[in-house]
Amino acid sequence: MSSTERELQISPIVQESLVHNSRTLYNLQSITASLFGVSAGILGLESYPGFLFYLVFSLLTAVLFYVLRVAPTSLAAAGGGGKGKSALLDTSRYFRGPFEFWAGGLMNGLAGFILTWTLFYGLVRA
Amino acid sequence: MAQVPVQTIHRDPQLFYWILFPITIVMILTGVLRHYATVLMASDPKRVDQKTMREQRALLHGINVRGNHHVLSQSSFVTRRDALIAAYESGAYLKDPENRGQPPPNPMSDPNAMEGMMGMMKNQMATIIPNTLIMSWVNAFFSGYVIMKLPFPLTIKFKSMLQAGVATKDMDPRWMSSISWYFLCIFGLQSVFNFLLGSDNAANQMSQQMTQMGPQAGQMFGPGVDPNKQFLAEAENLAVVEHHSVLDGVEQRLLEGIKV
Repeated sequence: MSSTERELQISPIVQESLVHNSRTLYNLQSITASLFGVSAGILGLESYPGFLFYLVFSLLTAVLFYVLRVAPTSLAAAGGGGKGKSALLDTSRYFRGPFEFWAGGLMNGLAGFILTWTLFYGLVRA
Repeated sequence: MAQVPVQTIHRDPQLFYWILFPITIVMILTGVLRHYATVLMASDPKRVDQKTMREQRALLHGINVRGNHHVLSQSSFVTRRDALIAAYESGAYLKDPENRGQPPPNPMSDPNAMEGMMGMMKNQMATIIPNTLIMSWVNAFFSGYVIMKLPFPLTIKFKSMLQAGVATKDMDPRWMSSISWYFLCIFGLQSVFNFLLGSDNAANQMSQQMTQMGPQAGQMFGPGVDPNKQFLAEAENLAVVEHHSVLDGVEQRLLEGIKV
């Protein structure tokens, strides 16, 4: 019996809440990705600047989401809980893994971004 | 290195109104239609008679006891385990106990199984038919037009895919024809549907295929599975559980948690 398994049994993870959190994050990511595509198209960015724009802004969205929604409660819980592990940028209170939170948006929104980017680039520039 | 001059092609702005917007709007509306068709075609869960339900629930009971044994105390877990194993092995929960040990009936002859397969067929049809129709519609009406320029460069390999039906040798692969706009719509419209229909919509066939890959809950009690064998396997699983409780050593943990 490993200690992590035991830890999970003492304070279990509720699957439904985790799914709800992930879905909320996914909705935010796909909608913002489309909006970034619209702005990149209107600005007329091409090739690398466009993808860089997407990278920077989706990371910025993740950071904003962390600062506004995740950080207040998770830092307070880590500080007051007496666990001694009050790591900054720790999203394990609400999400499955750090990768899903920080980089998941890049994959989820890419197709929507390219679609709206192409559409508005074509409408404005071509 | 010599700069390659940027190709410009003069295109009628009417192309946007008569090709780009119709394809996009039709794609979005098909997605909405597919969502509502799936909602309407979803068959109600069938009524199960009491014996079948008891059989299924008894098996689930065993699985849940095994999975959550750590919230029970030692004595209550042992009591539950013994009762369940005895019932499983005597076949007390079986739907028809006299059929024990006989091979299960052919799944194709079972009307319930046929209904399940019909449901899957209906879902498949709801994806395949609109796609085929729209693709042939785009091919029939809009083939051969160059409508847009991609904002990022591509290698020459993409030319045959993006410029299908446009036989111009030296054109930059960035120029795309109407059929490639259709493909781009297929992949990229999921976020639009998320926005329009809510996140658990059935509008996009990509996401539907994702969910079909996932584990199916109905598979456990599907046709062609011998419930008696399932019960015997579950009894064995229960018998080998090494029980421990979350309350083991809780006093020690509590005392460690108190800081004076």
